[in-house]
Amino acid sequence: MNAPSTGQTRGRVQVRVEGLARAFNGIPAVREASFTVGAGEIHGLCGHNGAGKSTVVKMLSGQLPPDRGRIVLDGEAVELGSRQAAQRKGVALVDQELSVVPALTVLENMLLGDIDVPFVNHRRRATARARQILDGMGLERISPDQPLSALSIGERQLVEIAKALSQNARLVILDEPTATLSDVESAHVFAAIRRIAATGRAVIFVSHRLSEVLELCDSVTVLRDGRTVGTTPTKDLSVDELIVRMLGEAPGRLAAAERPDADLGHALRIAELRVPGRLADFSLTAPAGRIHALAGQLGSGASDVLRALAGLHPTATGTVVLNDRAVPFRDPVRAARSGVGFVSNDRKSEGLFLGRSVAWNLVATRLPSLGRGGVVRPRREQDAVRSLAELAGLPQPRLGEPVAALSGGNQQKAFVGRCLGRPDVFALLLDEPTRGVDVGGRAAIHRLLREAADAGLVVMIASTELEELLELGDVIITMRDGRVVGRYEGDANGSRLMRDMTHGVEGA
Amino acid sequence: MTTADRTREAAANASGPQPSASPARGRPTPFAIALAVLVPLFVVLAVTTDRFLSLDNARAILASAAFVGITAVGATLVMVAGSAVSLATSQTATVVAMAFLATQQLGLATALLIALACGIALCAVQGAVIGFWGANPIVLTIAAGFAIGGAATWFSGGTPVYPDARGFETLNSTWLGLPIAVYVLLLVTVVAQWTLRRTTAGRQMYLVGENRAAARAAGLPVGRVTVVAWAFFGACTALTGVFLASFNTSATVTLGGTLTLDAIAAVLVGGTAIAGGRGSALQTLGGAVVISVLSDVLLLRGFSTGTQTLVKGVLVLAVVVAVHLRSAGSRR
Amino acid sequence: MNRRWLSRPDRLMPASSLLIVLAAFAASPLVSGRPLELFDAYNALQGFAQLGLLALAIGITMIAGEFDLSVVGTYALGSMVAVSTGATHPALGVLAAVAAGAAVGAAQGGLIARLRIPSMPVTLATYIALLGLTYVMSGGLSKTYPNSDATLWVDQTVAGIFSPRSLLTLAAFLAAAAVLGCTRLGRELRAIGGDRRASRVAGVQVDRHLVAVFTTSGTLAALGGALLGYSYASANPDPGLQPLILAAVAALLGGVSLAGGRGTPLGLLAGTLSVALLAQIVATTALPDFSTQLLYAALLGVIVAIESPGLRQLVDRIRAHRLERLS
Repeated sequence: MNAPSTGQTRGRVQVRVEGLARAFNGIPAVREASFTVGAGEIHGLCGHNGAGKSTVVKMLSGQLPPDRGRIVLDGEAVELGSRQAAQRKGVALVDQELSVVPALTVLENMLLGDIDVPFVNHRRRATARARQILDGMGLERISPDQPLSALSIGERQLVEIAKALSQNARLVILDEPTATLSDVESAHVFAAIRRIAATGRAVIFVSHRLSEVLELCDSVTVLRDGRTVGTTPTKDLSVDELIVRMLGEAPGRLAAAERPDADLGHALRIAELRVPGRLADFSLTAPAGRIHALAGQLGSGASDVLRALAGLHPTATGTVVLNDRAVPFRDPVRAARSGVGFVSNDRKSEGLFLGRSVAWNLVATRLPSLGRGGVVRPRREQDAVRSLAELAGLPQPRLGEPVAALSGGNQQKAFVGRCLGRPDVFALLLDEPTRGVDVGGRAAIHRLLREAADAGLVVMIASTELEELLELGDVIITMRDGRVVGRYEGDANGSRLMRDMTHGVEGA
Repeated sequence: MTTADRTREAAANASGPQPSASPARGRPTPFAIALAVLVPLFVVLAVTTDRFLSLDNARAILASAAFVGITAVGATLVMVAGSAVSLATSQTATVVAMAFLATQQLGLATALLIALACGIALCAVQGAVIGFWGANPIVLTIAAGFAIGGAATWFSGGTPVYPDARGFETLNSTWLGLPIAVYVLLLVTVVAQWTLRRTTAGRQMYLVGENRAAARAAGLPVGRVTVVAWAFFGACTALTGVFLASFNTSATVTLGGTLTLDAIAAVLVGGTAIAGGRGSALQTLGGAVVISVLSDVLLLRGFSTGTQTLVKGVLVLAVVVAVHLRSAGSRR
Repeated sequence: MNRRWLSRPDRLMPASSLLIVLAAFAASPLVSGRPLELFDAYNALQGFAQLGLLALAIGITMIAGEFDLSVVGTYALGSMVAVSTGATHPALGVLAAVAAGAAVGAAQGGLIARLRIPSMPVTLATYIALLGLTYVMSGGLSKTYPNSDATLWVDQTVAGIFSPRSLLTLAAFLAAAAVLGCTRLGRELRAIGGDRRASRVAGVQVDRHLVAVFTTSGTLAALGGALLGYSYASANPDPGLQPLILAAVAALLGGVSLAGGRGTPLGLLAGTLSVALLAQIVATTALPDFSTQLLYAALLGVIVAIESPGLRQLVDRIRAHRLERLS
């Protein structure tokens, strides 16, 4: 359904973005972004990972100054030095990093940091206004006096949107607002967005979920390679056409050649794995030798499968068997001991020990094997470090430096390398194995994973990068909303994967 | 996504210095400059003090650092493993002292074992609650302090505990002019240092203290590591309690005195960060000695205990700030 | 006062602890053998006055997600300064003490906010330094306060159960409740304690607020110490760690969480009254000393258990296991 929002005035242009550009350390992230958003228009912004979407959003919301170009709001060219400055100019941002505090009530969160709110509380007035805004968004059931901690993640997101509304913004930017929401909650968000637009404000909606973009937005701008490829009214577009614009001229590649199952090697059998609220019934038999790739965006459950196997979801249920032995997957220590090696998607806060040296990080999980009776033998440690560094492709002279000093690619190599070469690891689970890694590093890590699979390990990855999925995935399983959508063995291509990840099950 | 996109994304996500630069080389940090100025000043001040450079004085310095130092070395492991501090140290030492004196008739060795077991048990339980359940160390140790202090009061009935035998007197003797406590301090430091640097458990303490979430995701036994650190701390506190009992020949509920804060001060002056993940037993030994030297110099120069305490506080503050600035700088 | 209003932990905790303690207080004649007199209430409120400002001081820092260990040092400093300088003009002595406390607090707040250092080591170091300072100021002994008129004035009975000291303490709580409850400062303080990153993103002036918080805690602690000095007609250079621990217990019973983001001045008031009443109950019923300690241990133990994330995970795990068993 491509119905435009009602009550829009196409005459006066609200927001004009002209020639925005921004580079980091000499590498351009955005080369030239230009588009216009009318008053009362819901404008979609799409592009694959790395196309420059998040940088454009950061520039529009005042978090980053552009190198070139300008932003014009209601005919006035503005310079946004900070998020507060942007707020003063009437730009509100709702993004994944929520700025609502769970310890406060809904009302308090809506008032927090708002420059127009008086010093002394006018409780009745503020509550009435909050009530008005919440009702206007269809949130009659949320009371302003409720503690935010009592609300679900989706409801908190809605409060964040209500907060943006109460700040009288002229432009509201929403960055992936529905990524972690259920269908019902997403419907509420859409209704709220439509009401916002109906009041004459401009809305920019950034999302990976293309069907939602086409349903909600009046027109959509596609970014590719840091440039705006074009702006099209959504009534003239279908999902497949949108995908073609996003990916460029090469819509897809065939997967790597069919690989025979390795005879030796381990096997991972997952049956009815469930994580309440995140993952419904997931089952898979993954033998060694073939890399299994879970393809799904944020909130699809792909990452949760791996985390549950690694023991980081204490409420997970189901059966997991590795080499005919049950994996106690509700406890990370016992899961690790039964042969599961896990590489999370956030190497900085849940992976590496940033203050410690590369050498320390490399052997962090194999300390008991470096000696006897709990004592570490320095000689064995040095040998282990040296061979691991060689295996992972890390420069030997830098092993003593804190791992925080390494580039993103090398950090990830150290993180992945930590799980390699261990006789007690049978299954290697990697969540976004090459996030924030440059081309060279990515190729190196892919090589490592392929070698591990050939050596007889079960290798499972979760990823949102099409190229990576197509290159590594001998078996690709697409997921959305906590469910499996499709399974491909050698017959995948980019647009099909994209469609599954963003569109989900037909008719859903 | 094309390779160009990846490079762009990698660049946009890049943080921290580029591979070629290293923050350690090049211009000296403010920390290094401060150190280069203050240390010689301190040394000059000490050396020019009357009667400082004498063997007797050196012995006195070591002796006065011993009791607190033993506990402080144990507290280092707890801080390194990320459990910050314990506010129940004085009470634990007091209870152990009482138990030690009350069981003197069973022989020195047995009484010693009982004392150690007591200290280890009391602290290991706290470590388990903190390690396995993620309890807040401050609140938990305050609660434990009340419980242990209450137990001490009940056990002693409010009156001092006197020993029935005199076996403990050997612990007061000296060897080569130094009290036994000093040798125990050195031994404990060596054991703690070796544990931290060379054993799996010690390494894991550093990792858990540095980033508990990462340690958990990596499958490291966070709970067990925490218990081991606290058990060691309990043993050290017990040793201090034993020495305090021997020294005072009787135990009242106030025997622990200011041990809680003194131990923490020694660890902090040694440069261990309260957030965890850094530090060593040798550093704490250094911290305890530095505090002792400072007090000694001030005493020899005729300053009151009040001034010594004041200067000690300023010293702790200076080291804490310096350590924080240094670690923040190297991580940026 | 409906059920939902009471269900929040920062209201439920202080309300229930105060109710329980009041009930125990009312029931104490059963153990002591003599009826309750006005004097008992006066004594309890005197105990409240002794602890109150300290609990409010540390409580406010805890709401902001910090922990000011130095309040006990500022307490002693306030006492010493007031006693030393307020012999002829008691009011000036109090003013001097308050100024000293504010200065110490502001300095700490500046360090903690600007350099982003955790509050515990900084306040610990300051505590040690302040202890030394009070020793130096008094020569290691208690300093006597010669103005007996002031001493009698601060503790005279007002309306049978109050005294100027307890009324002043009560006024401080009410003022704090008014400021934090009726202005934006209250929610901003809780935001800083609850989620500092989100607060910064939302535009709260975190650094400025932190400095203000520590300045306030220093001021309140010094005021409490000054009044205590006048009351005892002497200033003790080393009150020990006990007042700090009792103040922390009062704050925890008052619904403040060590993780920050939760708590109100009225809750702190209830928590402090609970602790003061408990002390009075022990005094009148002549319960042995260790029983209070064990009681506090038990209360805190419960709080620790409730607040441990690990315990909550265990409960979740058991619940999930049970659901799985059923399906």
